[in-house]
Amino acid sequence: MSLQRLFAVSSVVFLAVLAFTPAKNALRPYRSIQREFRRVGAARAPSAKAAQQYAARPIAIQQIWLPDLDNRVDRCTTCHLGAADAAMAGAPEPFRMHPPTFHTPRDFARFGCTSCHAGEGLATDRADAHGTSPDSTSPILPASFMEAGCGRCHAGDSVADAPSLSRGRTLMETSNCHACHAVRGHEDFRADAPPLDTIALKTGGEWLRRWLANPKAVDANATMPNFQLGRDDLAALSHYLFSREAAPELQRAVAAAAAEPAGDKVRGKTLFAASRCISCHTVDGKGNGSAPELGKIASRATRGWLIAFIRDPHAFNPRTRMPQYSFADADVRDVVAYFEDELRDFDAPANILEPLRVNQTLAEKGATLFRSAGCFACHTEVKEGERFGPDLYGIGDRKATSLDFGRRADLQRTLPAWLAAKITAPRSFADGLKMPTFAFDDEQKRDIVTALLAIPAAPVPAAYRSAPPVQASIVPAGPIGELVSRYRCLSCHQIGGRGGDISTAPLTIEGSKVNRDWLVKYLGVPYSIRPILPERMPILKIPKDDAARLADAIEMLYVDPNVPTDPFAARPASDRDAAEGERLYTTFGCRACHIIGKSGGYYGPPLSDTHTRLKTGWVFRFLQNPQRWRADVRCPNYGMTDTDALRITAYLDTLVERKEAAQ
Amino acid sequence: MTRRAVLLALCFAAIACRRAPATRAAAALPPRPSRYELQLGKEVYQQYCVGCHGDAGGGDGFNAFNLDPHPRDLGDRAFQKSKSNADLADAIRRGGAGVGLTALMPPWGHTLDARHIDAVVLYIRSLRR
Repeated sequence: MSLQRLFAVSSVVFLAVLAFTPAKNALRPYRSIQREFRRVGAARAPSAKAAQQYAARPIAIQQIWLPDLDNRVDRCTTCHLGAADAAMAGAPEPFRMHPPTFHTPRDFARFGCTSCHAGEGLATDRADAHGTSPDSTSPILPASFMEAGCGRCHAGDSVADAPSLSRGRTLMETSNCHACHAVRGHEDFRADAPPLDTIALKTGGEWLRRWLANPKAVDANATMPNFQLGRDDLAALSHYLFSREAAPELQRAVAAAAAEPAGDKVRGKTLFAASRCISCHTVDGKGNGSAPELGKIASRATRGWLIAFIRDPHAFNPRTRMPQYSFADADVRDVVAYFEDELRDFDAPANILEPLRVNQTLAEKGATLFRSAGCFACHTEVKEGERFGPDLYGIGDRKATSLDFGRRADLQRTLPAWLAAKITAPRSFADGLKMPTFAFDDEQKRDIVTALLAIPAAPVPAAYRSAPPVQASIVPAGPIGELVSRYRCLSCHQIGGRGGDISTAPLTIEGSKVNRDWLVKYLGVPYSIRPILPERMPILKIPKDDAARLADAIEMLYVDPNVPTDPFAARPASDRDAAEGERLYTTFGCRACHIIGKSGGYYGPPLSDTHTRLKTGWVFRFLQNPQRWRADVRCPNYGMTDTDALRITAYLDTLVERKEAAQ
Repeated sequence: MTRRAVLLALCFAAIACRRAPATRAAAALPPRPSRYELQLGKEVYQQYCVGCHGDAGGGDGFNAFNLDPHPRDLGDRAFQKSKSNADLADAIRRGGAGVGLTALMPPWGHTLDARHIDAVVLYIRSLRR
């Protein structure tokens, strides 16, 4: 009897289990989502036939299998059914069509979904797929950091269509993050911070104390972060820095400069403005801002140091971006006289530049602090493997549960929230943390978090990696290399893959672009080619010989074989071509941006002196495709025919600088 | 027997009461631009358009005063209403001369691809005052 009962019960249980399995499958949420898609699709379909096709869609798991890309299986399209369907543009989620990006919709089958968006590709349940729990190995990337996905495959500081990622990567470099944190691809990174041996020659104890307490408060352009040092630490560091000894020749140079007679401040003011120092520096916030603010410079550095430094900046800091101006001795005295008269801190105490009398005990304490606070990471040469902070390998794939949130109970338990808090208030997590505080605004924080989330635990397979082509960057050694270094051309201009981006004119193919004789004159006395830009070529007072040698080197080295020497070689231009070109210049509306004579827009460079300045081959090739030479050139590509381009070239080549024409 | 029936009934009930999907078809609504498209459109606008049309699309960029006729006030309600997205994209692609207006507005069809032009149109829509 009891056996019979047992049999009856177990058969009921067995049947129940049997019924439960298909029921469980029927209950999986994706099935109801797919049924909903049938209805949405049928309602949005452009034709009755298409509507029928939507309605008859089979209910089944969809997946993209990528054996070559870490054997990914992405089932996201099981619910996101309209991702590649134009009829689903603007449809409610999860059916909405993917916005058009460089890779979508054409590359879905090549990359799948999780390679850009992260998330658990195999899961078919929303919470699992999106990885919403803190222990998820791969939570989906929030929309604001979406460009981190691009950075998984795309190396390089500038990634097309990913401006936030590009800005973030550049910011990490300019903020010297790599000086403390190892990141692959930045093994040779060296911070731009100046050597500190000349501090005692340069400034006073009070100024140094203010600077160390909060660099940004002293100079808005400061790249040095705030180390939040206490009073004792400030004193110890100051005494240590004042105890360092500058090279004897620098000491002599500064002492001799300090003893020189006063300069002419009025002349200095004119000279300062004419030299265009604010192409890099700022005065009361006006200027480029990549070099120190000069509004209070005379309360920051002593007169002797300023004079000696401007005369020979590279002796004080071999890695400075400041070029060598070929000023006469009196010129420098005049400029510094102007600094002392106008560019000083009128509220500063009288002792701001008074040297500190070194207390040896404090100096020794400061020497220890210089190491333990990490100052050395930026101010001395540090080898890979000796980085001061923890490495950032794989930071973008860290699980939220593996992160130390410390005191920050207020934070969402996610990696982006943790990273954002780390770069906002790094010391708020626990006592004794050493990372200094940077002053990033919200957009910069988003950019940096994006760049950090793009650093993977394991690199994507080689076939998927995309690095910008390495551009050859020839700077010859010897006398030409010395001139390029003396005038610090690479601080503003790019040559190939090297150099700064202050100037809009890379020098990579400058030799194919401008006439040598024009260049010699321009290097001597550069004028404003683009009056709207605050950054203009500084007047470095390059002597004629140097200018000629530089121009010859540029003419010889920085050329592109695709730019013809003479575009009219096959058929010489006639007067009719030039007349036709002038008509085309009007038809294309070139005057909206360019000035010829007295009228035209201020967007592009004036063209009144085209014949004097530019080579015809360059003008011709540029007109055909401006973006070929620099991707961000704003001059539109008109898709003009060769004949039209030649005619406009012929017209522009009749334009000669008026002074020359009069001769 | 009754127990089995109860169990089966429970199963069916569970299937019948499955969670209703949260989404509802809304074919009548015009597509709302995604954050991505707006961001892309803004980047393109800031790169190529801002010099003449100005930060907020008011036709008051720094180069505007050199131009006669003046650049279009893109934020103007009446203007926005009178043009479809396709009209705007066409004017950007073929330039002023291409649509019977001034050649001072250049054609961008050889510089920007359709994706960028569509994105900048969506961004221009967001400039409506």
